Parts: sequence; structure tokens; C-alpha cells
Amino acid sequence: MSEPLLVLDNVTKNYGAIEALKGISFSIGKGEVVALLGDNGAGKSTLVKIIAGGLEPTSGRMLFEGKEFLARSPAEAKAAGIETVYQDLSLCTNVDVVANFFMGREITRKVLGIPVLDERAMEAVVGKALASAGTRIPSLRTNVEHLSGGQRQAIELNRFVHWGGKLVLLDEPFAALGVEQTRRGLDMIRQVAKQGIGVVIITHIMQQAFQVADRIVVIRQGVVAGDVARNKTSPDAVINMITGETLAGAGPAG
Amino acid sequence: MNPRTRHALEFVLDNLVWFMLLFVLVVFSIFIPNYFQLGIFANIIEASSVLGVMSIGLALVIIAGHMDLSVESVAALSAMAVGILFCSSGIGMGVQLHPEWLMVPVSLLLALAVGGLIGAFNGYLVVKVKMSAFIITLASYIWVRGLVLVISGGRSAQDLAPAIRWFGIQRLIGLPLTAWIAIACFVVFSLIMAKTPFGRHLVMIGGNETATFRAGIRVNRNLIIAFVLAGAIAGLAGWLLAIRTSGATANLGVGLLFNAFAAVVIGGVSLKGGVGTLPGVYAGVLLLSAINTAINLMGLPANFTQVIHGLLVLAAVLLDAFKQTIRQRLA
Repeated sequence: MSEPLLVLDNVTKNYGAIEALKGISFSIGKGEVVALLGDNGAGKSTLVKIIAGGLEPTSGRMLFEGKEFLARSPAEAKAAGIETVYQDLSLCTNVDVVANFFMGREITRKVLGIPVLDERAMEAVVGKALASAGTRIPSLRTNVEHLSGGQRQAIELNRFVHWGGKLVLLDEPFAALGVEQTRRGLDMIRQVAKQGIGVVIITHIMQQAFQVADRIVVIRQGVVAGDVARNKTSPDAVINMITGETLAGAGPAG
Repeated sequence: MNPRTRHALEFVLDNLVWFMLLFVLVVFSIFIPNYFQLGIFANIIEASSVLGVMSIGLALVIIAGHMDLSVESVAALSAMAVGILFCSSGIGMGVQLHPEWLMVPVSLLLALAVGGLIGAFNGYLVVKVKMSAFIITLASYIWVRGLVLVISGGRSAQDLAPAIRWFGIQRLIGLPLTAWIAIACFVVFSLIMAKTPFGRHLVMIGGNETATFRAGIRVNRNLIIAFVLAGAIAGLAGWLLAIRTSGATANLGVGLLFNAFAAVVIGGVSLKGGVGTLPGVYAGVLLLSAINTAINLMGLPANFTQVIHGLLVLAAVLLDAFKQTIRQRLA
């Protein structure tokens, strides 16, 4: 495995008396795609939120690029180079495609010392990014509320590909996509990984995990129930780990 | 549908309230004797300056997905503070500054500071303590008005210092400077909302607060700024109100809040947040003012105004729903 990008060391999260995460340890290398699998309520989304700065862990520590890391807000995680695509889409449907693409990172130019949105420059960038990904949207100036579920998800996927960063977290990114778009999305993930970016993808679909991931990490009841290289396991073995029939390969990543 | 008709239709939908204003003005001009004259139109603009300024602040907070019911009371408190310091009779203390013009910036800053402070208080409770903006600002609406009664003892201040009054008397192209101040506010804040990252962020926060937070936008900071702005703008409205009435009474501005709501809703701002523009709000303010003027000219009892305003708000909400269905067809 290449040099670790993010290391989680015994990360826990309690909600009152409920232990959502009982101690998660694994690591992600640069350019590595890790599929995070687990049954509903296993704690996958909680884990992603902790890495992305949406939640703070109760205990445990994380190392990002070898340094102690804790994001107190999504802004901090972004500044560190962590991009996230959430399960429930993070788009503002009341503004247009361009505004969504640049949310929080608008291009501005100074007019009398005041930052003013540079709409033309932003539109050009979005046009190019969507075209190179093969996404067709009639007008970049349409409000997102008028777009289909697939188009919305495409915007969000293109957004993370464009901004890149160092680590990308995808929480069920293909839930609203058709077959062809999903295939393209999986290609995108491989491309992104090839640039040396680490990718964590949460999915429920075993086939997707095996298509795209280098390593498969299974979470069950708040602990890592399995951490195996894709080519050393099979869908059946992974399903057994998810349902808890075996604990093969359990424990922290080596 | 070809792109051009689609664009034309979207343009009409986006600016519907301006077309309504135009329609109303034409109808009144035709059917009401003496309505069609420059003086009347100037009067419509002049009469809407206080309400207009107040509506800007209210609209900012509503577009950001919250609510500020306190703007009316805040304006009254600012007006009373200015009145007590710079009025020479009633409860006015008649403070004199030299040179005289110094009273203008001092009174203005005082009004803005009073408003801004209450705005900051509202914003802090809403954002940091995560209480409902409706309840917090309803409380402020009540206690700030109470404060006005307390500091004035229910009495009034008259005869505002002439240096400040000057803004209400001096005219430029037929309009008093107070009206120009309101217009300037609309221009400045319209540009801020449409052209700067801050304005864009407020609109997006109103649309989907979670998404903006995840995108790394400093939601809390932006929201508190919006509340402070709403308060400070209400303070400015109070300053204009003091100039307009040359003083302050304890019940100054009562009822303005509901007119401001009406203007904002008629102007196309959705109470759900994230939708609406300030030019639309200005058109809404002018529309209300145009109707008030018509009622005056026709000699109808002033009590009719309230009935008509209420019906107008209903019509605006229905129209909004109608616009939504048309837009869905367009997409």
C-alpha cells in the first residue's frame, strides 16, 4: 500500500448512551479507492461526517498526511483538502447551476475594493467542466429546482471532480443515477484516484464496490468487521462480514 | 416553446410586481381625476421612504430563511433616541453640537447603533442559541416597544434640530433628500444581494442551509450579519421617521411592520426563504404607496387601506403559487 493519507485510530462517537461508533481504525492511502460497506445503521454516514467536519468524534484521533487532524467544521475539512458528496444532495435548488458549482468558492474581481462575483468567468469554468464530463444541462443559468435528479447528482459529482483536493468522501453518490451515468461516475472515481487522490465511497451495491474499490472496509455495529483487498475476497465473503456471520480479517488495517 | 419566448416569459415572471405597479398606475391615472401628475408620483415615492427602508432589512433576513418581527419597534426606539437628544421641546433635551452639521452624523450613527445592537442581540440568540427567529424577534418587537414607552414616559419629543430636519425639507429633482436616501439604500443593497459573494451566500443559506454549511460557507457569521444589518437598517428607517415627523411619539410607526411584510411578500419574496430580490420589494412598497394615494384622492375613509392591503397580500401569495406552476411548466 502507498503512503497513508488518512489514518483513523480508534475513533468513537456516542449519542448520549448510544455508541454509534465503538472504535474505528483503518487507513486510506494516496490514490487508493476504499469502499465502505455495512448494513443500515452500521455507522458509515456518521464516520464520513466525522472526517468531513460535520460531527466531532467523542474520542480517538485521526492523522491526515501524517499530522494530527480534527475538522471542527466542513470549512476546515475543505481547507485541508477533503471534499464530500453527501447522500442527500447538497445543492441549493433556488439558485442556478453556476452558483451551486462555486458554492462558497466564488470567483470574484475587485471593484473599488469590493469583491464582486465574476459570473462570466464562473460560467466558463462550469461549462468546460460539465462538457468534459459529458454532462448535458440545457442552460447553466437554470435554477437547480428545475433539473432532474440525475442532472443534480451529475452537478455534484462534477463539482468534486473539479475541485479535487486530496481526499474525496462519497456517501452513496449514485443513488439517483441511471446505469450509464453510474458507469461514468465510477470511471470518474478511477480517474480521480489516478491523480493520487484518496477516495472513500459508501455504497450498498456490492457490484459497484467490487468494480471500483482497491480495498473493502466493512463496518458492523460501530466497529470494523473486515478490511480486505478487493482481489483477496469475494462478494459472498463480504456479505458474511456485513451480516456478522464471520469476522474474517477483522481489526485495524495493517 | 422556443428559447426567446421562454426568456421573455421568465423575464415577465421575474419582474411581475413591476408590471403590476405599472398597470395600477395606468388604471388609477385613467380613472381617478388628478392622479396623473408629477406631484402625485413624487408623493408616492416620498411617502414610501420609511416603509421602503424598513422593508429592505426585513427582506434580507427573510431571504436568508429567517424572520425579523422587531424592525418596527427598533425603528421607533431609534427615532425616540434621536428625538430625545436632538428635539428642543416636549421630552427633547435639545442637545446642541457645534458646528451644527455635526448633529447629522451623530444622530445617524446613534440610530444605526441602536438598531445594530438589537439586531446583534436577535441574531446571537437565533444563530448561537438556536432559538426560533419568530419567537425571538416577536419578543424583541414587544420589549423594544416597551422600552420606547419607558424612556419617553409615554410623552413625545417635538421640534427636531433644523440641521437634521434639513434632509426632509431640501429637495433634489422634486424629491426630498430622505426619499433619495431610501432609493440609494435600495440600489446599494440590491447590488450587494445580486453581485457580491455575501449576497449570494444569503440567498443560498435561505435555500438550503445544510448545503451551504457543508460547502464551507460560514453560515452563522453570515446570518448574524444579516440580523445586524436588518436592525441597523430599521434604525435608519427610524431616523427618517424622526425627520419626517420632526420628533418622536411613543406610538410612532405602529403598524409599519405589517405594511413591510405586505410589501416584501407582494415584492415576490417567499417566506420560505431563498427567493426574492430587492428591486421587487421596492416595487411592492411603491405599489402599496400608490394604492394609499389613490384611496386618499378618491376620498375614501382611510380605514379602507387596511382591508385593501390585506387583500393585496392574499393576492400576492396566490400569484406566487401561480407563478410556481408556470415555472414548472417552463422547465
